[in-house]
Amino acid sequence: MMKRALFWAATLIVLAIVIGPLLWIYLTAFKASGDIFTTELKKLIVFAPTLDNFQRLMTDYPYWFNLGNTAIVSVVSTIFVMLVSLPAAYSFARWNTGGGHLLFVTISTRMFPGVVAALPFFIIFRTLGLLDTHVGLILLYIYFNTSFATFLLYGFFRDVPAELEQAAMIDGYGRMEIFRKVVFPLILPGLAVTTVFCLIWSWNEFFYAFLFTRLTARTVNVLISSFWGSIEVQYGPMAAGAGIAILPTLVAAWLMQRYIIRGLTFGAVKG
Amino acid sequence: MNANRARETLIDPTLSDQALAVVRKPSVWEILTSEKYFKWTLLIPLLLLLLVFMLYPLFYCIYYSFHEWGMQGDALFIGLKNYRQMLHDGSFMEALARTLEVLVICIVAELAIGLGLALLWNREFKGQNIVRGLALLPLLVAPLVLSLLWNFMLEYDFGAVNQILTAVGLGKVYWWSPQFALFTICLITIWQWLPFSIFVLLAGLRSLPRDVFEAAKVDGASGWYTFRRLTLPMLSPLIMIIVVLRTMWLIRLFDPLYGTTRGGVGTELLDWIVYRTAFVYFDVGYGSAMAIFSLFLTIALCAVMFRLLMKSLGVIK
Repeated sequence: MMKRALFWAATLIVLAIVIGPLLWIYLTAFKASGDIFTTELKKLIVFAPTLDNFQRLMTDYPYWFNLGNTAIVSVVSTIFVMLVSLPAAYSFARWNTGGGHLLFVTISTRMFPGVVAALPFFIIFRTLGLLDTHVGLILLYIYFNTSFATFLLYGFFRDVPAELEQAAMIDGYGRMEIFRKVVFPLILPGLAVTTVFCLIWSWNEFFYAFLFTRLTARTVNVLISSFWGSIEVQYGPMAAGAGIAILPTLVAAWLMQRYIIRGLTFGAVKG
Repeated sequence: MNANRARETLIDPTLSDQALAVVRKPSVWEILTSEKYFKWTLLIPLLLLLLVFMLYPLFYCIYYSFHEWGMQGDALFIGLKNYRQMLHDGSFMEALARTLEVLVICIVAELAIGLGLALLWNREFKGQNIVRGLALLPLLVAPLVLSLLWNFMLEYDFGAVNQILTAVGLGKVYWWSPQFALFTICLITIWQWLPFSIFVLLAGLRSLPRDVFEAAKVDGASGWYTFRRLTLPMLSPLIMIIVVLRTMWLIRLFDPLYGTTRGGVGTELLDWIVYRTAFVYFDVGYGSAMAIFSLFLTIALCAVMFRLLMKSLGVIK
């Protein structure tokens, strides 16, 4: 009995520490400025909710426009990443093409510090006029998601038994048909998980977005970051903006519980 | 274009045109999807992408690291001067030391607390799926948003954390003071990534063979002995995975700094100083040299561990 009480006490404390800060975003989003900047303890939780912050966010800043930029860049880059990674991962998984070394080279791009790519691309984008454009940012996101997607898909492809393909081959299927009719349907759940992960990484990305966009292609994270550091710190609109922007990732995290660890470990831990 | 390119490499160049006319009955598409070449056809887009997005920036970074250039005019070749300057640059060395400090603090804390909580939750209990789902939430939230959030929550006067600390009788903490700021950055990072360690280790604990532990129990082994001699060694591949991946990510810590100290009060880390040198002072040459150094540091730290990881996955024999 004592042991159970201790177990639940520890569990609840941990959950409070994990969830508290996330709830705090939403609490702050509905607070008036006076309730945010107060030292009155009870106002941490008890306050008159208001939609002021959301209103200011929509009227004073191009919030929906920036959120739209984030969505466009995430979706388009993810489509291209899939077109590149899906065949590559299949090749690595079925034929071990390149004896594992090529796969290692692919994954090592993920080890590159962001700045190594940022500098040369900043310079060439400046010459080509790609700074502050959707195309520029999409290219960068394709770069940083491809190795991840390839490796994750590689793991899912390895779960498809080769015997199935051999059977299809005996039935006279060509390589393309086998991929389309046999392998592809089996890989669909893995493809969905990988797609969601790529969408989230692009959605959350800040470093490149911050360096490469100013106005026309500015993403929502860059907008939110600009609330801090100006003369007056706009915690209200910041929380409102952040609350909306992280909603899709929270939903995705909840729905994909089973796959989060698998995704974050590049498929190494099945979770 | 891809098809042409592929064909050039696929067909033996020593064959004369005449011979080709006889040999080349199948169409390009048939060759590309043939049993022999299909696996390489599948890789063409990836290889092109790697060429453009990996070799090109790497080459340019190395090139600029031997030059002095301020994004205007011509680059001036100065040999190894940038690299020599780095060794005598106090703020760079400090940033490097700090990065290693953050690396050690975060990884050790995440492993220790993560293991503790994994052991705690390694049982069947009511609502375990809800607990798991809630605990995983921070992992996929944008690090930048979280850094802004924590910056606000750890504010000295209005911050929720200090108000709660005061209420329970502990004093306020000046979280962003020079003595504390780096530690605070670590705390934020640990907070976000702790679930990762917990659930990787939990996955490991769940997959451990039961019979070995039962045998140990029958033999009268103590709990601590079983943990040290059985549990820990069997978890070591997973601990390795955590260490490798966290090293890779922590070396490039940038977002948590941007939302909080912006590299001030003694929190400037490796990626931040490269960013500042290259994109604030426009010292492209020196910035490139730092970036290359940072790349080699990552490779040096990860390469050995990474190969071990690949081996345990069965990718490399």
